[in-house]
Amino acid sequence: MTWPAIRTILDGAVVTAMLAAVSILLSLPLGLLLALLRWRRVPVLAGALAAFVSLVRATPFITLVLFVFFILPSAGIQLDPVPAAILALTINTAAFSSEIWRAALQTFSRDQREAAAAFGLSERQIFTRIVFPQIWRANLGPLISEVTILLKCTPAVAVIGVVEITRAAGRVGAETYEPLPPFLVATLIYTALIATLVRGQRVVERRIARRYGVTR
Amino acid sequence: MAEIDAAISVKGVCKDFDGFEVLRDIDLDIAPGTTTCILGPSGSGKSTLLRCLNWLEEPSKGSVFIHGKPIGRIGTAATARPMARRELATARTSIAMVFQHFALWPHLTVLGNVVEAPVHVLRRPRREAEAEGRAILSRVGLAEKADAYPHTLSGGQKQRVAISRALAMRPKVILFDEPTSALDPEMVGEVLSVIHELAKEGLTMVIVTHEMRFARDVADTIVFMEGGCIREVAPPQAFFTDPQSERAKRFLTRH
Ligand SMILES: Nc1ncnc2c1ncn2[C@@H]1O[C@H](COP(=O)(O)OP(=O)(O)O)[C@@H](O)[C@H]1O
Ligand SMILES: [Mg+2]
Repeated sequence: MTWPAIRTILDGAVVTAMLAAVSILLSLPLGLLLALLRWRRVPVLAGALAAFVSLVRATPFITLVLFVFFILPSAGIQLDPVPAAILALTINTAAFSSEIWRAALQTFSRDQREAAAAFGLSERQIFTRIVFPQIWRANLGPLISEVTILLKCTPAVAVIGVVEITRAAGRVGAETYEPLPPFLVATLIYTALIATLVRGQRVVERRIARRYGVTR
Repeated sequence: MAEIDAAISVKGVCKDFDGFEVLRDIDLDIAPGTTTCILGPSGSGKSTLLRCLNWLEEPSKGSVFIHGKPIGRIGTAATARPMARRELATARTSIAMVFQHFALWPHLTVLGNVVEAPVHVLRRPRREAEAEGRAILSRVGLAEKADAYPHTLSGGQKQRVAISRALAMRPKVILFDEPTSALDPEMVGEVLSVIHELAKEGLTMVIVTHEMRFARDVADTIVFMEGGCIREVAPPQAFFTDPQSERAKRFLTRH
């Protein structure tokens, strides 16, 4: 492969990494917020959010991307391809991760929560000081899996014209009539990205285990 | 005893879980500085009563006063309103609790568990709270465990941490719900002896327990419950040697 061809794929890799990073940073807290609002059983809102989460979870990701890019404008929300891609990725991962957070909230030790309340901690303090520091650690594995799924969803945003790794590799393949090398490079980059995530997860998990023993 | 003088005053407390009556019209006054042991068969409502004292359980009727101040609900029957969460949290700071299953916070060190509420609820300076926390831990024989995490401790040690966590609040009242029931037999003694020491110091303590000998030694007052009612309130000597009710007699022959 020529250098410009490799450059094209690397540019795609930067776009993929950026899309993934921004969507992760937005979607995990948003998923937690959705879970908290549902868990609090705020009357109408909790039901609406439950329906929203089910709908997003049932929708193929590519359909969600098309919806955000082509249908939202008719509701007055016009987005460029990259912001639209980020929005779709964020909604999708927020919905899936909210289920992880929700399960974590539901199964969190009632004893610990009661002890905190008995000692005068406020609802907010119970969450920020007792619950959250434990549930993110205990659910690091499932959350990282969600993130790797997010990464694997990114090629779908090519349908609205975002040039990420896979799309870039496809272009190079079409121009050189040799599709194999660019796709090998693309695969290598995906593998490196996911390996980095998993590696990070291992390091954090090992530190947690050393300090607190079992995390669950 | 007037409710103003009592450390804890319970007036007409009833509690049902979905129509199933667990506490029936409980009245009880507990004098400051005394140790009260609540005895009774399992399912008689001992834990529920204890949990009503700090409003972990909300009575369906009645009121609770801690040193004359109402907790959980303010005003009498007709005009009663629930306390705001913040008020309730504040009221709870004078009543500490020790749980059957310890309920330590596993992500905090032993010292972290002890200073959590003093620092974040009472807003004491961390340095000061930690110094006091270490002093309390050494009193219960756990000075060298201050920086350990709870999962590395034995059950007896965990319960002593839980007691330290309670003491660190400088509470007026400490509630114990079967503090030794989850322990291996060889660890019961170390926890009971710590509680016994505290009883000599003028704290007001209410202890639900199945340890009859301990209750006899430590209590100023025995409260015997059965079927959601208080059947007997007596000094230990009287209760253990000459129980008045048939039910208490039967209970004592079985324990
Ligand atoms: N949260 C609850 N929901 C329904 N029933 C409960 C609940 N807590 C306690 N009970 C019932 O109330 C009764 C008294 O329980 P408890 O106060 O724990 O008794 P004790 O501590 O004397 O063993 C029992 O029959 C128990 O099953
Ligand atoms: Mg009980």
